[in-house]
Amino acid sequence: MAYLILGVVAGLAAIERKGFLQAMLSRPIVLGPVVGWALGDPAGGLLLSVPLELLWLGAVNLGAAVPVHEALGTAGVVGGAVLSAKRMGAPLTPEIATLAILVAVPVAYLGRLGEKGVEVFNERIASRAELELSDHHLRAATRCNLYGLGASFLLSAVLAPAAAALTARVVPAVLRALPALASPLRVGFFSLAAVACAAGAKALRARAVPVSFFGAAAATAVVGLASVLAGRAL
Amino acid sequence: MRASPAPAEFSPVPARTLAHVFLRSLFLQATWNRRGMQNLGFAYAIAPALRTIYPDPARREEALHRHMGFFNCHPYMAAAILGGAIHHEERVAAGLEPERAPQDYKLTLQGPLAAIGDGFFWTALRPFFGALGAVGALVLGLGAIWAVVIVYNAIHLSLRIALFRAGYTRGDELVPLLARLTLPVVADRLRTAGAGLAGVAAGIFVLRGALSLGPWAGGLAALLAVLGYAALSRGARLVTTVYLAAAAGTGTAVLLAHLPGGR
Repeated sequence: MAYLILGVVAGLAAIERKGFLQAMLSRPIVLGPVVGWALGDPAGGLLLSVPLELLWLGAVNLGAAVPVHEALGTAGVVGGAVLSAKRMGAPLTPEIATLAILVAVPVAYLGRLGEKGVEVFNERIASRAELELSDHHLRAATRCNLYGLGASFLLSAVLAPAAAALTARVVPAVLRALPALASPLRVGFFSLAAVACAAGAKALRARAVPVSFFGAAAATAVVGLASVLAGRAL
Repeated sequence: MRASPAPAEFSPVPARTLAHVFLRSLFLQATWNRRGMQNLGFAYAIAPALRTIYPDPARREEALHRHMGFFNCHPYMAAAILGGAIHHEERVAAGLEPERAPQDYKLTLQGPLAAIGDGFFWTALRPFFGALGAVGALVLGLGAIWAVVIVYNAIHLSLRIALFRAGYTRGDELVPLLARLTLPVVADRLRTAGAGLAGVAAGIFVLRGALSLGPWAGGLAALLAVLGYAALSRGARLVTTVYLAAAAGTGTAVLLAHLPGGR
C-alpha cells in the first residue's frame, strides 16, 4: 500500500513539475514533507527536504534542456528513507538519510532519460492531434493536449516506488551488517548537507554569489556559536 | 487562405471565457514535445476563445490551425502572449488585421519573453524562495515551508494573471510595458540573496554538526563546503561531488575512530 501511495504522489508531482501549474509543489522542499506525510513520517521528509532542495536548486527547465528530475529523485530518496526507517523500527536518522541519498539519487538522472522518452512519445500525441484537426474534429484535437500528462505520471509513478523499494532493502541491510558505520554516516550527512548548500549557491549565477554565500555562512556560524556560548539553543 | 471580411465592429470575448482560457493555460506544457514544443498546449488553451470569436466552424478551424504551429515560451510569460493572441484574433475576425497577425505576434514575442521568464522566474525568484524555504524549515520547521509556498504563489499567480490581462487589453503595446520593468536587476539581487540564504543554511548545518558530533565534524563540513564550491566552479559534476562529499565525511569519521584514543 505504501508503494502505491508513493507512486501516486510521485506521479502527481511529476505532472505539477512541468505539465500543470508549476507552483513549487513538486520542489524538494515541499515534496519531501508531503511524501513523508503520505508515508506517515513528515518530520523524516523534512530532514531530507532541505539538503535536496539546495542540491537541486539549479534544476530548472530552460528552453529545450532537460534537467535532472528533482521531483522523482526526492520521491525516491524520501520514500526510500522513510520505508527504511519503518523496516528498522527506528525514526529517520541522519545515517539513514545519508545512505538513502546515496542509493536513490541516481533515479533523478534516470528520470531525466525517461523524460526525454516522454518528449518523443508526446510527438506522437501531437501528430494525432494534427490528424484529428485535419478530420475537422476540433475538440478532439485540442483534448489530445491532456494525454501527455499520462506519460509523465507513469514514469514517476513507476520509478519512485522502484527506487524506494531498492533503498528500503539496501539501507537496513547495510546498517545491520555494519552498525559501526552509523556514527560516521551521521558525519557524512552534515558534510553532504553543507556541500548541497554550496551546490545551491553555485547554481545561482550572479557576480556577488561567492561573497554572499561564504559571508552568510561565516556570519551564521559566528552568531550561532555566540548564541550557544550564551546558553541559547540553536 | 480566405479573404478577410470587410472591417466590422467586433464583440470582445466574455470575461468568463477569458477565465476559462487562463485556467487552460496552466496546462500549457502538458504535451511538451521536441517538434512543436508547447504548440498543442497553446491550441488547447486558446480554443474556448476561438469558439466565441469564430462562430463559423471553417474559420474557427483555420484559426486553430494557426495555433498548432511551433510555440515555446516560459510557461508564466506565455500568459501574456496568449492574451495578446486573443486580442489579435478578435481583430482578424472583424477584418481589421490580416490573418497572419496573431502568428506574427507570437513569433515576435516568444523568444524575448522566454528569456525574461527563464532569467527572472526560473533562475532567480523560484530558487530564492526555495532557499528561503530551506532556511525557514531549518529554523522554524514545516510551517515556514507552507508560508513560503503561499507567498511565492501569490506573486506567481498574480503576475501570471496580470500578464494575461495586459496581453489581452494592450496587444502590441505590451512590449514597451515589459521594457519598463527592471526584472534583470531584481533577478540579480534575488540570486545574490538566494546565495546568502544557502550560506545561512550551510552555517546552520556546520553548527549542528559541531554541536551534535563534535567541533571537528562541523569543521569538516565547512571544509567540504568550500572544496565542493571550488570543485563545482571548476566544472565538477554535481552527482560526483555529492558522493565524494558523503565519502569524505564518512571516511574521515571512520579514520578518526580508528586512531588511538579515537572518537
